[in-house]
Amino acid sequence: MTPRRAELPLGGDATRRFIPLIVGAMVYLAALALAGTFALDGTVQQWSDSLRGALTVQLPGVAQDPEGEEAKARIDAAVGLLLETTGVLSASALPYAQSQALLEPWLGAGDLPADLPIPIIVDVSVDTGARINYEDLGQRLEEVVPGARINDNGVFLSRLVTLARAVQLVGLVVVFIVAVAAVSIVVFATRAGMTSHRDTIELLHLIGARDNYIARRFVTHALSYGLAGGLLGLALAVVTLAALALAARGVDQTLLPRLSLDLTAWVALLCVPIASALIAMITARVTVLRALRRLP
Amino acid sequence: MVRFENVGKRYGHGPEVLRDLTFRLTPGSFHFLTGPSGAGKTTLLKLMYLAQRPSRGEIEMFGQDIGKTRRRDLPPFRRRIGVVFQDFRLLDHLTALENVALPLRIAGARRERIEAHVSELLAWVGLAGQINARPPTLSDGEKQRVAIARAVIGRPNLLLADEPTGNIDLAQGLRILHLFEELNKIGTTVVIATHDRSLISTFGRPELRLGNGELTVHKAPSVIVDEDPGGDAADADDGRSA
Ligand SMILES: Nc1ncnc2c1ncn2[C@@H]1O[C@H](COP(=O)(O)OP(=O)(O)OP(=O)(O)O)[C@@H](O)[C@H]1O
Ligand SMILES: [Mg+2]
Repeated sequence: MTPRRAELPLGGDATRRFIPLIVGAMVYLAALALAGTFALDGTVQQWSDSLRGALTVQLPGVAQDPEGEEAKARIDAAVGLLLETTGVLSASALPYAQSQALLEPWLGAGDLPADLPIPIIVDVSVDTGARINYEDLGQRLEEVVPGARINDNGVFLSRLVTLARAVQLVGLVVVFIVAVAAVSIVVFATRAGMTSHRDTIELLHLIGARDNYIARRFVTHALSYGLAGGLLGLALAVVTLAALALAARGVDQTLLPRLSLDLTAWVALLCVPIASALIAMITARVTVLRALRRLP
Repeated sequence: MVRFENVGKRYGHGPEVLRDLTFRLTPGSFHFLTGPSGAGKTTLLKLMYLAQRPSRGEIEMFGQDIGKTRRRDLPPFRRRIGVVFQDFRLLDHLTALENVALPLRIAGARRERIEAHVSELLAWVGLAGQINARPPTLSDGEKQRVAIARAVIGRPNLLLADEPTGNIDLAQGLRILHLFEELNKIGTTVVIATHDRSLISTFGRPELRLGNGELTVHKAPSVIVDEDPGGDAADADDGRSA
């Protein structure tokens, strides 16, 4: 039995050997962009959750008598004002011990010097839908308790969330651009293949081959390099992500947002080589069928 | 089988290579196609094997108006036509056997059947020893025989051969012509373009002669040429036949 040779020997020409590499590079970029987008998603979720109703007001502490009358008066004045403000759901001061504990990482355990005024922290929960004018609120607080300050970490966090969302958008745009580039590369490779096998294609056409029969050879070829390049790119991306994860282990967790990938993300990554194979196949098929329409 | 009605063909904006061809080939007929070089023999064959569309006029193949046939319905017609191309058009990366097997493969025939069938035919055209040779290593005469084998392997209803004996010696040429005659006996309609007068006189078949873009028929029992396009083709074979 003689081996069944393809009428269209597509793997042969020099340019085609580079196609899997190019596809691999593109899949690598797309996979990393996708991984970044997914990793940020978890972080953004965390941030958004802590944003819900999060606001603290800081009042100057009383140095010698942190839990005395003076401190209570300040708390009552501030809480009273806050509760009158529309949009504020609740407001209450942290007990002195807790405020102290919050400062421990910076000032060390043990007795704090008695003359150090520990600020009083008022936890405020706000209606997420309400539009509170923080500048105005801050001024009014200052009037009742001089030195009172709103910690607008909510504003800061919401800016971070916006930034993270923008970065995610950029990631998706990168994936899209890579897909467009992949389509162009496949169109180019397919056209080059058709040109270098023009005589063969014409002959097959003349002896009665259907367009589908001819296209099938190109589609099979595209499938092979789409999949090969895709797996290569994915393998490199996984190695890269593993290396990054390893590097992140050494870094203090409090400084880094949680950049881990969940199951959905891994499934999405696995889909990238499948997508690259599909894109290659569909593009090759459309390209060939279009070109063949020029034959009588 | 084949019917041309006022067919004209020009390439691009060039002059008309073929003008007002009106003729009919009945099933089972056998014709030589002659004419000086550049007269349009290959062009006429291309119109018949659906490689070119006419610039004007109407072509009917196997009872179907080709101009009105959708493009995707044409492949079955092409499979019923065997063509020996003037320039062979063998695929260099395939062996002689694979080249000849191509039409069967495209038609989806089973592999074991293909191999037996093809080797037999190659042996018949004297290429038993070259079954696994590739075209670049074959002589022109051998290539031509591979091309002929590929044209007849599928037992076509219509066989079109463009100078099929141009590169082979007389004995081989006669052998090939006898093969064509055998196919003709079992019903294949045959048209052979040739310059070889001795073949024509040996086989004594009617001749389609091209000159100045027009077609005349000589000794034509089975071909009818219309004098006036409106008339009935069947009774127009007076005067024009030599
Ligand atoms: N693809 C083409 N484009 C433009 N002109 C063409 C093309 N093919 C053929 N011609 C012209 O049409 C005319 C007829 O060519 P054709 O090949 O049909 O002649 P022929 O009778 O087969 O000649 P030969 O006996 O040399 O094979 C020639 O003048 C040729 O230059
Ligand atoms: Mg010719």
